[in-house]
Formats: sequence, C-alpha cells, structure tokens
Amino acid sequence: MVEPPMTGEAMSDDPDAQPGNKPVVEFAGVSKSYNAGQTNEFTAIKDVTFTVHDKPGHGEFVGVLGPSGCGKSTILKLIAGLEPQHPPTTGTVSVHGRPVTGPGADRGMVFQDYTSFDHRTVLDNVTFGLECHGVSRKIREELGRHWIDQVGLNVATDQHKFPHELSGGMRQRVAIARSLILRPKVILMDEPFGALDPQTRLNMQDLLVKLWRNVEATVFFVTHSVEEAVYLGDRVYVLSASPGRLVHQVDVEPPHRPAALMQREEQFRDTVYHVNDLIAAEEAARVADSE
Amino acid sequence: MTDSNSQVSQTRRRWFPIRGKISLLSSILISIASVLFLFATWWFVTRGEIVEQRIVGPFALPSPAETFATFSDLWFDQQLTRNTLTTLRRVVLGFSLAAVVGIPLGILAGSFPPVKSLLAPLILFGRNIPIAALVPLTYFFFGVAEMQKVLFIFLACVAFVIADTTTSISNVGQQYLDTAYTLGSNRWQAITRVLVPLAMPGLFDSLRLLFGLAFGYIMLAESIKLGGETGGLGNLINAAQKRGLRTQIYLIILIIPIVAFLIDRVLFAIQRGLFPHKYGGGGWLLVIVRDIAHRIGDVKSMFFRPTPPYDQLTLEGIAAAERLDGGTSDDGRGHE
Repeated sequence: MVEPPMTGEAMSDDPDAQPGNKPVVEFAGVSKSYNAGQTNEFTAIKDVTFTVHDKPGHGEFVGVLGPSGCGKSTILKLIAGLEPQHPPTTGTVSVHGRPVTGPGADRGMVFQDYTSFDHRTVLDNVTFGLECHGVSRKIREELGRHWIDQVGLNVATDQHKFPHELSGGMRQRVAIARSLILRPKVILMDEPFGALDPQTRLNMQDLLVKLWRNVEATVFFVTHSVEEAVYLGDRVYVLSASPGRLVHQVDVEPPHRPAALMQREEQFRDTVYHVNDLIAAEEAARVADSE
Repeated sequence: MTDSNSQVSQTRRRWFPIRGKISLLSSILISIASVLFLFATWWFVTRGEIVEQRIVGPFALPSPAETFATFSDLWFDQQLTRNTLTTLRRVVLGFSLAAVVGIPLGILAGSFPPVKSLLAPLILFGRNIPIAALVPLTYFFFGVAEMQKVLFIFLACVAFVIADTTTSISNVGQQYLDTAYTLGSNRWQAITRVLVPLAMPGLFDSLRLLFGLAFGYIMLAESIKLGGETGGLGNLINAAQKRGLRTQIYLIILIIPIVAFLIDRVLFAIQRGLFPHKYGGGGWLLVIVRDIAHRIGDVKSMFFRPTPPYDQLTLEGIAAAERLDGGTSDDGRGHE
C-alpha cells in the first residue's frame, strides 16, 4: 500500500491529526548546527518539522532512512535529549507536548554498538534502569527475568552470564529488554541490528514486531536497510543528504507476517524499490549540488 | 582423503611463523634455557680460583658459587625476610595512600573537564619532577622515620595515579554514558555504576605498572641514609656496600625482581578474577563484588522509596502482566 510521497509542505495535513490522538513527538522547525560562525560550521539537520501522534492502543513505528551522514542519528538524539545534539540550534523538540530538556527513562534508546555493561550479568544489565530508580532487588529481578524471557533468551541459563559470553544478537536482545523493562512511551533505535548477520537480523525484526505490539510505544527506527524500514515501519521518513531535511513521508503496510515471508512478496518489493528511488534521487541531488 | 585435503597436509612447515603458537611446555623450556644461558655466561666470566685467571675480577663480579654461598648469611644475619617485609609494607602503604587520594581525584578529573584543568598543572609538575632530588627534601619535611619513606612513595606515585585514572575514565565510550542516561540514571549513578566500573580494567593495568615503579623508588629512599638503621632491602644493599660485600649486593639484586614478579602475578590473578570480559575465566572476584554491591543496594532500598512511576511495581502486578503477555504473544503477530 504505497501512498504518493508527500512533500515537506504538505506534511502539516497529517491524516492522524484527529481529536483524541495526542502528539507524542513533535519537531517544529528544528535545525542543528555545530561550530556556528566558524569555518568548520556543519549543519546536521535543517528545518525538520513533523508530528507523530499516539494511536490509542497502538504506538506508531517510524522508520528513518536517508543517505549516509544526513543526520538520522541527530534526530534520535534530539528526542532522547542527549548532548551534544541537544539542545537544537533553532526550533523545538517536544515529547508529549513538553519540550525536551534532557535524557530520561520515558525515552528508551538502543544503540548499534553493543553497550552492555561488561561488569554486570545479563540480569543486572536488564534491571539497570530499575536499579537507578531505586526499585528493590526482589521486584526488579522478578521483572528482569520476565523481560529476559520476553526477548527470547533462556532465563535459566542466560541470566547470570556476563555480556562477553553472549553473541551479538543476544547482546542486542539484552539491550532491548533493558530498555523495554522501563515501559518507555518512546523507543529510539539507532541501527540496532546494523552489526548482525542477515539471518539474525530477520529474527530480531520479528522479535521487535512481537514486542512492540505488546508495549504499544512509539518507535523511531534509524536504519540503512530500506527493507528493514519498510518491513518494520507503519511509516517511513526519508531525509535528504546533508544537511538533512525531511523530504518524504511514506505510509507502508504494517508487518503482519514474518519478515522472511513478507519481504519476499512482490508488493513489498515494489515499495522497497519506490523508497530506494527516493533515496537515490536525494543522493543524486546532492552530487549535482556539489558540482 | 580428497585432493584438497592432501594438499593441505603437504603445506610446507615453516620454522618461526609470525605469531605462531607454541605449547606451554616449549615456552617454559625456552625460558629455562634463557636463564641457564645467563648463569653459564656468569659462571664462564668468573671461573678460576685466583684473580688473574678470571675474565672479570671478583671485586666487580663474584662467581655464582660465591654469591649463593652468602645466602645463609643474608637470610639469618641480615634478616632477609624481615627486611623484605619492611620494604613491602612501605611500598604498599605509600602506594595505597596515593591510590586513595589519586583515584577519586582522577575520577573527578575524567568526568568533569574543569577539574581536569584545575589538576593539569599539578599532574604536569608531579610527573616530571626528578624523583631522586625529592629524597633529601622529604627528610626536612618528614624526618628519617617510616613516615618519610611512605610519604616519599606517595609523592612519587600520586601524580601518575591521578593522570592514569583520568585517562581510563576518559577512555570509556560516550555510548555507555548515553545508554545510562536514557535508562534514567542521574550523574552520580552514571559515574559510580558505569564510568568507574568500565574504567577499572584499564586503571588496574596501569596501577599494576605503577606498583612496579614504586618498588624501584623505595630502594632510592632506603639506600640514601641519614642517621640510624631503618631496615628494608635498600638498606641491606647500602650496608653490604659499606662492608664491601659484593656477593650480598648481587644476591639482593637477584631477589628483588623475583619478589616483584611474585607480587605482579598476585595482582594479575586479582585482575583475572575481576575482569572476565578482558581475560576470560569465570570472574570469581567479580561475582563476589557484584554480590556485595547487591547487598549494599538492598540496605539502601530499605530506606529509600523508588521514584515514580516505578514505585507502583509490585510482585503481584508483574505476575499479572506476565500472564497477559503470555496470552498475547502467541497471536501477537496477527494483531490486525
């Protein structure tokens, strides 16, 4: 189900902007520049405006695509409130109607690099956030085991392992459990499966679809893989080459079927080709610009 | 056997492949051969009954037999064990003091750039100061007793400890800090639960090196003597020097590296136990440390309530959620 790509101007007519659907994440004219006024000034993203609404009982899954270095991660880190991306140079980033002032557990993040804490067991990694919030060990470990099970790890054998005893895919499962245990309303994923082999990647995509249905959070998913974005997303954002602007917003079919099946269907391939063309056009525009 | 297999078996065997593996036994044998070669050389250049027959005179270098003959004298008359322990106590005390002062300062400097700038001149000064010149100066400040030896080691090491701690903290990847923040940790928790534990393997490595350095420095402080006998290996060397006992000096020089090596192995064993992600193994010490951390946390959670909304979590609530998730996960995919 490919809708005609919308241009930046048309994006204010959001089809989800109905009463009752509160905005979860709002970007209003957001730009981010580094080293302003110096010769090495660099603009990561420019004038990005979008609104993601809460669909009751069903968070939205947004795939973010674009050429390399177009500021995809900048958008995620602005939502997370992490420095030095936060604060934006101009514009406002709001989550649940309030401007972002810094990082918080309501916005979970999963990184591409394995960021498991090496000195903590799987269980201690998963319960890190609860520990920081002062939840007693009995309760947090019970909940931790529940989430270890939810992400498809074996509670009995894996909970007391240290991260170096796990494969890359298992480490990312730990990272996902560690984030979801806090029940964040927004989940930010910065190429979480980028370093995994293709088969593990498909399994992780299916896992994510299953988990996301349960947690009902809004997910921002940055990836280089068009297939991944089109498969996982309800909607795909395409950014222009640096400085990144939001140039296309494509509604795609939600992931009803396992990744390995759905990604083989013709309709799915057509959507992927369409999005591929959009990105290629952006890349071409950048090359034309620089010449 | 297939063709390709027979080809593999015919691969020319090279001597000395780069980074080629050797067995533990051959590794030990080669090392023993190296020691034997040194002793053989020593024996060769000092062989002969009378001075004129020797390649190196007995005053400069006594023969191995002469050297080891003085062992019992060193052991009983000079109380080798007691003096070694005296030296060790001084190094351990001085070094611990440097660690207790230097590590917290280094953690602060590694976490907060203004503190780093504040300490930068001190570190620069402390690292480049001529250590030997410091020995006489410490007499004026701290006298000639134990205190002077301990504080000399402290002064010699503390700048290095601060600098190495700062580096280890700075080397922890930003993504770990970002992860901690997005999981709701505050700055204090980010430092104590993420930065410091993740910096520990690097820090321990450089502390182990510095301890070896401190062991060398103590000889300096012990062998420069003002006033009465103060004991220690450095003092033994000094006493032997005065009495013209070359044999004892060589023996002590041989003993010091062995003591240093043994200490280093003990420290390395601790390191292995603490950091299984770097050195493999089960991490028995890390398991103990984690257990202690858990117990301290348990005591804390008796006095503090969780921050909202996580104060709503109960065991019953979790069990109920588990039932709910278990029910939907089967058909979760066919949601629409």
